[in-house]
Amino acid sequence: MSDTSRVVQIFLKRPMIRVALVLLGLSVLVASHLRITLSRLGDASSNLRVITQEAWPPDFSVVTDRASWAYPPCELQTDWMCSPAVVGMTQTLEIAFLATILGMVLSLPLAAASATNLAPPLLAQSIRQLLAALRVLPSLIWALIFVILVGIGPLAGVLAMTMYSVGYLGKLQYEALEGVSREPLEVARTMGLPRWQVARFFAIPEAANSLLSQMLFMFEYNVRHGSVVGLVGAGGIGWYMQYYLEPFKLYDRVLALIIVMYVVVIVIDQVSLRVRRRFIEDEPMRPKWKQVFLPWTDG
Amino acid sequence: MSEQILSVNSAAIGFDDTEPLIEGVQLRLREGEIVGLTGRSGIGKTTLIRTCAGLIPPLSGSISFAGAPLAGKARGEVGLIPQRLGLIQHQTVGYNVLMGALPRAKWYQSAFSLPSAEMRESTRNAVEAVGLQDKILTSVNSLSGGQQRRVAIARAMVQSPKLILADECLGELDAETAKGIINLLRDLADDGTAILIVDHNPVRARTFCDRVLQLRGKKLVELGDEEQDATPALPVLRRPEQ
Repeated sequence: MSDTSRVVQIFLKRPMIRVALVLLGLSVLVASHLRITLSRLGDASSNLRVITQEAWPPDFSVVTDRASWAYPPCELQTDWMCSPAVVGMTQTLEIAFLATILGMVLSLPLAAASATNLAPPLLAQSIRQLLAALRVLPSLIWALIFVILVGIGPLAGVLAMTMYSVGYLGKLQYEALEGVSREPLEVARTMGLPRWQVARFFAIPEAANSLLSQMLFMFEYNVRHGSVVGLVGAGGIGWYMQYYLEPFKLYDRVLALIIVMYVVVIVIDQVSLRVRRRFIEDEPMRPKWKQVFLPWTDG
Repeated sequence: MSEQILSVNSAAIGFDDTEPLIEGVQLRLREGEIVGLTGRSGIGKTTLIRTCAGLIPPLSGSISFAGAPLAGKARGEVGLIPQRLGLIQHQTVGYNVLMGALPRAKWYQSAFSLPSAEMRESTRNAVEAVGLQDKILTSVNSLSGGQQRRVAIARAMVQSPKLILADECLGELDAETAKGIINLLRDLADDGTAILIVDHNPVRARTFCDRVLQLRGKKLVELGDEEQDATPALPVLRRPEQ
């Protein structure tokens, strides 16, 4: 046996290598089934070049010029405060805020009714199915449904994000409620309190930090996805992006809106991270760069 | 004659019918009586307490409370102080103690979080009785172990139950703090509350309990006077002679 074949044999004996080869083979099969070819990627690169040429430099007039076509109409005197970027981003934040609050109010009782340590098993399972059903559709599809039901505008966005928030938050919340210590609940049950009082006065306060942290996380999520639902007419900055994309194809303005959105999302993520850290003591602290490069300092 | 509060009749305790932790449990508690429960770790003391609280059904036999089945007890008649106290960690001392008054709150008082003047007054009194009046707005997770135990006792005081089931509420306390807690329990018993308390230290239990029961193997036995006296005392640490 040659050295090469011996090396190949030793190589193939490793379980990780075998698993990797099987996964690679499966990936190639799936890609060919989906008609994914490298030539298509070649087309993409030429399209990317066209878009980049048209989008660069970004046109920041979207931050300075008044959008007279804004919906709902902006009645402020200052032009930049009525610009597509400011109006759109404000709407996105407002949609996210309302959807998070509504989602929290609706999901909390549902979560308590689906936590197996608080509710009868049959009720818990039924509510879990309902929450799962709400999560099946992504927020974009909910937005399409509500645009059809209530028309174009922020209301459709709020309703769409609320539906998704209820499904998503509900799951996070019942898992948090099921994770609370058994003993406070047993104290309440020994007192003879009804289930709703056990949940209201013992389980929810015990899980309060996790619940607040999840609500902030949901707000972050809704800000990010609030821009996507706008693309189908559900209000927010996405709606203004769509306005520039179709039919005008003003990629330079869209890029400016994306940059504004990126900055706002980053700021909100950082603020939310810091606030959430106050609620969850066990969450590992993110190291500062100074601590990474100068570990002997106190940071 | 004092009223019989808790009565456990020929009960088997545990989770598996084929292998109960404790068999043939006969236990009587009268009002104003403190009964100690001792036994080695893992023998089933906590399971017995949880069964008496109605959290676990007995495998066989019956448990009655004030002459009626335990399941029919009125709200707030039984108080539990679990081993880790069951306090709501992120809430204040006042909130935790007020929870003891919840069983007598009317539906609208609990639905809208509007405690009555009586509930607030009894909470203040209980917090004062355990000496934590200056900590009433402090979060319980910033208190010491002894202070947290006092909060749990204050919660039971506000509840003013007929029966308190206390699981190791003296564990890991220094002698002085334990003495303070024992005095609080004695005050409750003097007011007529029956107390079943788990204490892993039989020597200490016999100093403040009216009776001491011990779990041996799968049986619950009452230590007689001679037997209690024969329980080895804690070793006394002597200062080495100079």
